[in-house]
Amino acid sequence: METTTSCPSTPRWNMERPYLTGRFHLETKATSRLAETKPFSSARLERAIGCYNVAVQELIVVDDLLSVMVGIEGRYISIKRVCGKDEVITFWVDASMDLALQELAKRLFPLCESFLLTDQFVESRSQFKNGLVNHAFAAAIRALLLDYQAMVAQLEHQFRLGRLSIHGLWFYCQPMMGSMLALSSVIQKASANNFTGSAVLNLLQSQAKTMAGDNAVRSLLEKMTQSASNAYLGILERWVYEGVIDDPYGEFFIAENKLLQKESLTQDYDAKYWGQRYSLKDGIPSFLANIAGAILTTGKYLNVMRECGHNVQVPVSDNSKLMTFGSNHHYLECIKAAYEFASGELLNLIKEKYDLIGKLRSIKHYLLLDQGDFLVHFMDIARDELSKKIDEISVEKLQSLLDLALRSTAAAADPCHEDLTCFVDNSSLLKKLGSLKDLEIRTVSDVGDIEEPVSITGLETFSLSYKVQWPLSIVISRKALTKYQLIFRFLFHCKHVDRQLCGAWQVHQGVRALNAHGTAISRSSLLCRSMLKFINSLLHYLTFEVLEPNWHVMHNRLQTAKSLDEVIQHHDFFLNKCLRECLLLLPELLKKVERLKSLCVQYAVATQWFISSSLDIPKLDESSVAKKWTSRSLSKVQKVMTRDAAVTESILKFEREFNAELQSLGPILSNSSQTEPHLTLLGQWILGIGNDH
Amino acid sequence: MPREIITLQVGQCGNQIGMEFWKQLCLEHGISRDGILEDFATQGGDRKDVFFYQADDQHYIPRALLIDLEPRVINGIQNSEYRNLYNHENIFVSDHGGGAGNNWASGYHQGKGVEEDIMDMIDREADGSDSLEGFVLCHSIAGGTGSGMGSYLLETLNDRYSKKLVQTYSVFPNQMETSDVVVQPYNSLLTLKRLTLNADCVVVLDNTALNRIAVERLHLANPTFAQTNSLVSTVMSASTTTLRYPGYMNNDLVGLLASLIPTPRCHFLMTGYTPLTVERQANVIRKTTVLDVMRRLLQTKNIMVSSYARTKEASQAKYISILNIIQGEVDPTQVHESLQRIRERKLVNFIEWGPASIQVALSRKSPYVQTAHRVSGLMLASHTSIRHLFSKCLSQYEKLRKKQAFLDNYRKFPMFADNDLSEFDESRDIIESLVDEYKACESPDYIKWGMEDPDNLLTGEGNATGTVDPKL
Repeated sequence: METTTSCPSTPRWNMERPYLTGRFHLETKATSRLAETKPFSSARLERAIGCYNVAVQELIVVDDLLSVMVGIEGRYISIKRVCGKDEVITFWVDASMDLALQELAKRLFPLCESFLLTDQFVESRSQFKNGLVNHAFAAAIRALLLDYQAMVAQLEHQFRLGRLSIHGLWFYCQPMMGSMLALSSVIQKASANNFTGSAVLNLLQSQAKTMAGDNAVRSLLEKMTQSASNAYLGILERWVYEGVIDDPYGEFFIAENKLLQKESLTQDYDAKYWGQRYSLKDGIPSFLANIAGAILTTGKYLNVMRECGHNVQVPVSDNSKLMTFGSNHHYLECIKAAYEFASGELLNLIKEKYDLIGKLRSIKHYLLLDQGDFLVHFMDIARDELSKKIDEISVEKLQSLLDLALRSTAAAADPCHEDLTCFVDNSSLLKKLGSLKDLEIRTVSDVGDIEEPVSITGLETFSLSYKVQWPLSIVISRKALTKYQLIFRFLFHCKHVDRQLCGAWQVHQGVRALNAHGTAISRSSLLCRSMLKFINSLLHYLTFEVLEPNWHVMHNRLQTAKSLDEVIQHHDFFLNKCLRECLLLLPELLKKVERLKSLCVQYAVATQWFISSSLDIPKLDESSVAKKWTSRSLSKVQKVMTRDAAVTESILKFEREFNAELQSLGPILSNSSQTEPHLTLLGQWILGIGNDH
Repeated sequence: MPREIITLQVGQCGNQIGMEFWKQLCLEHGISRDGILEDFATQGGDRKDVFFYQADDQHYIPRALLIDLEPRVINGIQNSEYRNLYNHENIFVSDHGGGAGNNWASGYHQGKGVEEDIMDMIDREADGSDSLEGFVLCHSIAGGTGSGMGSYLLETLNDRYSKKLVQTYSVFPNQMETSDVVVQPYNSLLTLKRLTLNADCVVVLDNTALNRIAVERLHLANPTFAQTNSLVSTVMSASTTTLRYPGYMNNDLVGLLASLIPTPRCHFLMTGYTPLTVERQANVIRKTTVLDVMRRLLQTKNIMVSSYARTKEASQAKYISILNIIQGEVDPTQVHESLQRIRERKLVNFIEWGPASIQVALSRKSPYVQTAHRVSGLMLASHTSIRHLFSKCLSQYEKLRKKQAFLDNYRKFPMFADNDLSEFDESRDIIESLVDEYKACESPDYIKWGMEDPDNLLTGEGNATGTVDPKL
C-alpha cells in the first residue's frame, strides 16, 4: 500500500523537553550506554548496600523499587538497556544486597520492565506518522499508565508512612502485574513488527482471544481493542454511511485509485473503473473480513450516487453508531443495513431516474434490430455510401442518413433514438473478433491467419453506437457496447444479404410472364429460394432462438435484481451468452457462415445482371409492343435465356458451391453441438436436421 | 415516409373488404373515423405511415383508391361514418354508373377507357410517397368490375411500375352453390391469368371456405357479407402487422413475400387465422397458448381456402412455406417449444425438394384494441393443395365453354371481337401449367422438373431421375 499521506511532524517544543512526556526514558539509553563501563554507579555511593542491616536494606530497596517502577534508577538498582534493542531492558541489583531481598526485588522487575516498554511504546506511537489506530491505542494505554502511576504514588505514600514492606509492595502490585505483562507482550509484538492500523486491531483481538481464560486481562485487552478500533470505526462509518474515505494515515482497507476516471467507462474497452477505482487492500481487520466485500460495495454505491449529484447519506440513528462491542454483532447489522440502503437506493436511481431498462430496450431496438424497420429505410437510402470502400466513407453522411431514417420510422417515437450514432470500423468482423482477446474465442488451428477480404466495404464494417451517460455507463460500458456492436454487425450483414436476395427474388418475379419452366430461370429461382431460406433461417435462429429468449431471461432477472452488481452480472451474462450463441465466438463456424453469405451476395448480384441483361435484348426489339407482354411475344426472350448456356452453367455452379458449403456445415455443427448445445437448434433451422420430412 | 403501400379497392367486393380493412387499421392505430389521432393513442412504436399519410392538419388519410363502375357501394361508404377518412380525390366512380354487368370483358374494356384518370390518381399517390414499396389490390375474381377492371389495372401497374410489388387480396367465388353470376367461371379464369402473370403475390380468400368457417366455426346460420368481410379484414390487417408493428424481421413487404413465395408463378398464398371471432358475438373464450395457436393454424378447418380434392390427392399435398404471425404477449421460449412439438408430432407435411420449416414472426398487438384472447395467430402459407381450387375453376370453365354458353356477352368487346376466343385458350393454358407446377411441387424431384427437355413436360411424379445436364 503506497500511502503517500504526509503527516505533520512532532512540534519542536515537544522534542526539546523530554521530561514533559515520558520520552526521557528513551534518552536514558544514551546515558546508560556511557554507564556501561561502570555498570553500577556505585561511585556516587559511599557504601555498598550490604553494609546495612537487613531492615535498612529493605527500606532502601523498597524506595529504589518505587523509583524503578516509574523508570527512574535507584541507588542500588540500575536500569540497563542493551544497545540497539529497545525492548530488552535489564535491571542490575547491587550484589551485596541481602539475597532474600534481591530475590523479592527481582520478582518485581518484570513489572518495571513492562512499564518502561509500555511507556516507551506510548511515546513512540503518539507521533503523527503512526496513524489513528496507534494514537487511540496509545491514548488508551496512557490512561492505564496513569492508573499505574497513581498506584505507585499511593504505595509511596504508604511507604512514607512506614506501612509498606517489600512483601506489601509485592502484594499490592499483584493486580497490576498480570495486566501489565500481558499488555507489554502485545506491545512487544506490535512494535517489533511496527504494526499500524488494522494489524494492531487484529493483534489486540487475537490476544484478547488467547487470553480468554484470564478474565481481567481479557477485559483489559477488549477495552484496548474497543478504544483502538474506535478511530478505525470512525473511518469505516464515514465510508459506509457517506461513501467518503477519510483516512489521513492510510490505515483503511479500501483504497481509491484517483487515476481511474468514470469517463473511461464510455471510451475504453478495458475500462477498469468499476472494478478497480475502489479496491480492497491487504490488512482487513479480522472482525470485518467476512463483510469487507459488502463494505466496499456500500461505499462504491454511495459514491456513484454522489457522482450523480445525489448527496445520499444513509439515515443515521442512535442505533446505527458503529461499535464493535458486544457479542451481538451489532456492527454487522449496521453495515448490512447500510449496504441494503445504498444498494436499494442506487438501484432505484438507476432504474427509475436513469431508466436503465428503457435504455436497454432502446439498444435492443436498434442494435439488436428488434424494431428493424428503421434499418430497412436506412439501407435504402445509405446503399451507395455503404458500398464504398471504408476509407472513402463519410461517417457524417451516414450519420445524417441514419438520423433521417430514424426520424421517419417507428423509432421517431422513442426519445432515445437521438443517442444513436454511426460507427465504421476498419476491419472485418472476423478480424475484429480475433483482436478481442478476452472473449474466450474458441481457438482453431488457423486462427492466426484470418485473411482480410480484399476489399471490405461499409457493409461489412458498419455498426451503430450508442451514447451512454454516467451512471448507466457502469452497466452499459464500452465493453458491453462493443459486444452489442459485434452482434449488430453480424445481423446487419445478414440483413444485407437478405436484401440482396430479395432483390434477386424480385428480378425473378419480373420474368414470371415468360414460361420459364424448365429453364435456367426456374432453376435460379429455386436456388434463390434456398438461399433466402438459409439466410432467413439464420436470422430466425439469431433472433428467436438466441436474442429474444435470452433477453427475456435477462429482463426478468433485472426485475428482481437486488443490487447494481447483480444487474451488471446479469447483463454481462446475457451479452456473453448471446455472443456465444450467435456463433461469434466460434471462428471456424463463423467463417463457414461468412462464406455462405458471400456466395449468396455473389449469386444475387450475378443473377440480377443475368436476368436483366437477357431481358434487355428483346425489350429493345419490341419496344412498340412492350406495353403489353403477352407470353407469345416473350417466347423469344425465353429462347434467348435458354440458349445462354453460360448463364445456366454459372447458376448451376453457384448451386453446387452453395449446397456443398451448406452440407459441410452439418458435421461441424454436430461435432460442436456437444459443447455448444444451442448449435443443434441452428442445425434444425438451417439444415433441417431433425425436421424429418 | 419509407416503404409505403398503396391500396386499390376495385369493384363491389373490393370496396367492401377494403372498407372493413381500413376500419380495422383505424381501430388498431387509434385513428378516429375522421382520421384524427385519438387522445389515447400515444404509445407509439407503430408505423402508421405505411398505409396512411398525414394531411396538413395532421389528420391521417389512407393511401387508398376507391374504384368502382357503379356507385352503390362507394356511395354507401361516402354516407357512412367513415366518409371523412378517405381522400375524395381518390374515389373513382364511372360517369354512367352502369357497372360492368358481371362481365369481365366489360370491366376490362371500361378499365382501358378510364386508364388515364385512374393512372393519374395512382401517380399522384405514388409521387406523394418517399419510396413506394408496392400496391395492394382488393377485388373479387368472379364479378365484372373487380375481375375485369382489376385485371386491366394489374397489367397496367405491372407495366408502369415494374419495379414495385403488387399484392392482391382476391376473393374467390363460392363454387359450392350455384351462383347468380352464371359467367363466373369465365371471369375467374380470365382474372386468374392476370393474377398469375401480373401479381407478385395473391392472397386467396375463398368465399366457400369463409362461409364454411362462418357456419362451422362461428356458428352463424346464415353468414352475411358483413360477417365474412370482417373475417377478410382480420386476415388483411393481421398479414400486415409485421409492416405496421416493426420487429426483428419481415419489416418490408418484399422480405415478407420473398420468404414465402418459391417460384415466380407459385405465388398464391392461403391463410388461416385463430382464434376467430365476429363482432357482437359472445364467443367462448379459449385459453390460447402459442402451441395451441400454431396447432390450430395447421388444421384445415381454420384455413380460408377450401380443399376439394379427394383424400388420396389431398394426402399428397404439401406445404412449400409457412409464416406464422403470432400477435400478443408471447414468451419467446414458447415459440421454440411449440415448433419443437410440431416437428416431433410431424404435424406439417413439407415439400421434400428443398429446405422448409415454419417461420414465425412475433408481432405486437395493438394496445388500443381489446381482445378476449391473449394470443392470436395468422398463417400465411404456400400449399400445393391450392391447385385444386384452380382445377375446379378450370373444370367449371370447360363445362361452360363446351356448351359455348354466354360467349356473346364477351364478343361485344374488342378483345373477343370477331369471335377471337384465343384469350380464353391462352388463359386456360396458363392456369393449367400453374396447376401442373403446383402438382410437380409435390414430387421430391421438383428441382429437376422439366430440366432435361423444355419441350417435354413432366406429366407425373417421379419421372425425372438421373443427373441433370448442366448444359441443358
